[in-house]
Amino acid sequence: MKEKLTTLEKALSPIVSGSTVMIGGSLLRRQPNAAVRQLIRNKVRDLTVLSWAGTTAIDLLAAADAIRRWEGIYVGLFNYGLAPNFRRAVESGRIEVRDFSETAMVARLRAAAQGMPFLPIRTLFGSDLAQVNPEQIRTFDCPFTGEKLQAIAAAEPEFTIIHGYAGDKYGNVQWPVVRDTDDMDQPMAAGAKRLIVTVEKIVSHDEIKKQPSLTYIPGNWVEAIVEVPYGAHPAACDTMYDEDDAHMRDYLARSKTADGVKAYLGEFANALPDHAAYLEKCGGLAALSALDVKGRA
Amino acid sequence: MATYTNNELITAYVSRQIRDDDLCFVGVGTNGRAFTLAVGIPLAAARLAQMGHAPGAAVYWGNLLEPDLSVIPEHFTQDAFTQWQAAACPPDTGVKCDMLARRKFDVSFNSAAQLDRYGNMNITAIGDYRKPKVRLVGSLAQPEHFAFVRRPILLMDLDARSFVEKVDFITSAGHLSGGNSRREAGLGEGGPSLVVTDKAIFDFAEDTREMRLKSLHRGVTKDEVLAAMSFVPLIPETIPETEPPTTEELAFIRNDIDPHRILLKV
Repeated sequence: MKEKLTTLEKALSPIVSGSTVMIGGSLLRRQPNAAVRQLIRNKVRDLTVLSWAGTTAIDLLAAADAIRRWEGIYVGLFNYGLAPNFRRAVESGRIEVRDFSETAMVARLRAAAQGMPFLPIRTLFGSDLAQVNPEQIRTFDCPFTGEKLQAIAAAEPEFTIIHGYAGDKYGNVQWPVVRDTDDMDQPMAAGAKRLIVTVEKIVSHDEIKKQPSLTYIPGNWVEAIVEVPYGAHPAACDTMYDEDDAHMRDYLARSKTADGVKAYLGEFANALPDHAAYLEKCGGLAALSALDVKGRA
Repeated sequence: MATYTNNELITAYVSRQIRDDDLCFVGVGTNGRAFTLAVGIPLAAARLAQMGHAPGAAVYWGNLLEPDLSVIPEHFTQDAFTQWQAAACPPDTGVKCDMLARRKFDVSFNSAAQLDRYGNMNITAIGDYRKPKVRLVGSLAQPEHFAFVRRPILLMDLDARSFVEKVDFITSAGHLSGGNSRREAGLGEGGPSLVVTDKAIFDFAEDTREMRLKSLHRGVTKDEVLAAMSFVPLIPETIPETEPPTTEELAFIRNDIDPHRILLKV
């Protein structure tokens, strides 16, 4: 097996301005925020970003003016309301949006995983989601029944970034037996071209081998794996730690203006050399462990 | 005459719309009043239905199929979601999408920034889509709910900014432009069935599919309702009062379902 364990800096260096990147996680779970802060440090611009229900990761990238186009089902901050920086960028026309409903986005992900150019749905008749996006949503007649269906173009990002729970140095990533499954990370991984995974902790291959049915991202699919404890902070990693309410509130307060969030990014991303420095900036592992949960797994 | 809050009235009313063996979709998000409408009232109503006339009613919440509604979490942080026990937790959200597309859901609970005369709703953008006045959250599975669920129920406070003649963007196609337009567009049966608000209940006329005033909550006048809407709905000659909660329903809500006033807080 090939060793794929590396640093955030090396793993993300192929992602340059103009790239298309799928971002994993859903709502406040497993947002790959450590990787996103590295992309911000790298000053990438003009990204086309795809997501499922994106929160902090998308809003941070929007705050850094890194996104040219976004495609997905949702961007907001869950129980914290709308995503202020994403919202500002869309309203000013700096980010172009292509909205997909959940069955449409699932079709895009599964099509990519199957190597198909599209999959059909019948959800968006009469919806403006189809009306505004003839490039990726097209009506056709079923060759068997003649019924009208909608073809949804496959999601084919150049890069996919997912934050997972635990993995080995070969890139095999496992989920806990009991977890919050309301996401599409596994299908995203299955259809990825260049898959970069960050995990809360690196464990031994012997640990992974004991329960191979828990490996939802096989190392075989992975280009690089990086260990980033609290890598979803200030969002949560279900079964490991909760969202950081105080940090989220501070982020929201400072996101009221573009200048405010620029100062935040300066402090929490640009001025810091790496993720270890970010953890120190947030009080260190001892302080962050206050967010830990017991889980059931 | 029993005294009750507006939330108790709505919860009891919604619970009576849930039939035995119905599968109901409940959303997960937001806080404050939006939480009460999208999560609190639907969960309380589903549990009330289970405790009374619909023991076989089930809920799909987040990605949990049949979570145990006898122990609804009291804190809605991530770990409370993770720990909530349920009959099933499918491996990803695609499973729920498949169930939607195969029309397995009977009821959904929906709210929107804008809702129009024909029950089309908007949670995507206010103003021009490409340069909106307000960018909202996108779409989630709201288009699926109106496309595939048998009896979607909207839960919204009546407000002239939300109840508009025509939505700025059709996220979810309701009854489109009325009549047969929904079917002609390629959609099957379904679309919004009821609109439950803080002042009144509405349904949609069988022929024109226009929103129609169905009942007024106790003490609310027709004029108060019309003042809180940007269009005039169909109004029948006689308007009944929304059936109030029974003493038994109120006891279940207060003592068993939401004793700490978390679901029906605001």
